[in-house]
Amino acid sequence: MSAAEFVLQQHIHTLYRDHHSWLHGWLRKKLGCAHNAADVAHDTFLRIIASRDALLGIQEPRAYLTTTAKRLLVDRVRRQSIEAAYLSELAHAAETLPGYPSPEQTLATLQALEEIGAALQGVSAKAREAFLLHYLDGQTHAAIAAQLDVSTRMVRKYLVQALANCLRGQGG
Amino acid sequence: MAEPSADLLAAQAAEWIVRLTADDAAERARARAGFEAWKQADPRHAASAARMEGLIGRVQAVRANAAGNPRPAHAALNAAFAPDRPRNPGARRRRLGAGLAAVCALAVPAWLMLQAYPPAYLAADVRTAAGQWETRTLSDGTRLALNGASAVNLRYDENRRSVELVQGEILVDVARDATRPFLVETAHGSIRALGTRFVVKREDGATVLSMLESRVAVQSAAAPAASREARVVGAGERVRLTPAGIAPSEAIDPRSLADAWQFRQLVVDRHPLPAVLDELDRHRRGRIHHDRAQLEGLVVSAVLPLDDPERALQLLRTSFPQLRMRAVTPYLLLVDAPPAR
Repeated sequence: MSAAEFVLQQHIHTLYRDHHSWLHGWLRKKLGCAHNAADVAHDTFLRIIASRDALLGIQEPRAYLTTTAKRLLVDRVRRQSIEAAYLSELAHAAETLPGYPSPEQTLATLQALEEIGAALQGVSAKAREAFLLHYLDGQTHAAIAAQLDVSTRMVRKYLVQALANCLRGQGG
Repeated sequence: MAEPSADLLAAQAAEWIVRLTADDAAERARARAGFEAWKQADPRHAASAARMEGLIGRVQAVRANAAGNPRPAHAALNAAFAPDRPRNPGARRRRLGAGLAAVCALAVPAWLMLQAYPPAYLAADVRTAAGQWETRTLSDGTRLALNGASAVNLRYDENRRSVELVQGEILVDVARDATRPFLVETAHGSIRALGTRFVVKREDGATVLSMLESRVAVQSAAAPAASREARVVGAGERVRLTPAGIAPSEAIDPRSLADAWQFRQLVVDRHPLPAVLDELDRHRRGRIHHDRAQLEGLVVSAVLPLDDPERALQLLRTSFPQLRMRAVTPYLLLVDAPPAR
């Protein structure tokens, strides 16, 4: 274990020991549900641990924790909107589908959608649209150019942006 | 730390992949050949391309799972990127769903880090890891046993023998030496002995001394040096040294404590469950997190195997069926007692 790694561990340990109960209490008040609060408090720490570099610069641990927890709550809401939108559209489409997807398939799809959503985070709306029109709908560059009212050169640029972004997002 | 060329690499990979599905068939064919050569030129090329192809693969899988109908996926992603809409938590709460497995999987190595020890532990002369026990005979014949996750510094010279307990718990069997007193020291005070047997344990805010045989003189670090008065503690007594001073002693059974050390057991008699979990936490690799307030009312009397914390936890679960133990990762165990429905 390197010295830097060790310092990091110390930070996590202290952060968890000193503030976990406090964060849990804060979330319980905010959410009005002890179990959700426990889950979110937990995820907050997992997320902070995963973003290791940020850990060393924390000046106000509680402010940092609540910011992270709030972001997580937003993510949860997003995840729920993805799920709601997908399931409702799937239900509409069900009449015309040859077979309804299994629960496992649906779960896998929802997870994939979340990942796709995360990969496209920070991409411009047009680039995102071009990406989906091409890879999800299978439209040609020319068709997309016509639909978005841009040149095919621009469509390619959008696609490159969207693809390149998936490397950036994951700290790769 | 990103390499300066990372963005360039990503752009190149993306460029190739986009060309693979260009509208013009001749360009697609050229791109296939060029892409292969580019990937083979450097393993990093292939790796970044693979990540992008993975993303495209997911998009196509999503479509395939809805029998080729892209509309549900469009709707879902539009919802994901919709500007903040008025919240409707009631409707959304009903949809609480998909697991957090991905986040947890990512976090496993991170939780490993929670087996953190303070720097003083790593610098100590003798130390044991969680679940590891060790007995040593020191140069003067004193026997020193360390329980799991414990650390001591040894300072022996011609005038004195001193053992600094950095963390954890030790049992000392002091060898007689008329010329050199034997001391166990912590931040909370010092314990001075002449031929005796006792256990010293470091807790968060206190040092706990349990006397098995004979007597020791205890001096608190709290009082001003001039007025420090040693307190004599005899066999069968237990005292706590805290920053506030030395608390009144309580009676213990020296025999069962000695047995517990010998057989690596945790003997508890009407202890609150959270304290017992804290103790097991120290002996288990990883971390036990529990809801202290919720579990405070549960009282344990038991003999638990400290060298097999998993079994100890199993025993607790048998005694308290209301306990819920969830292993979030192999290293993180959550313990609580959800209210009965």
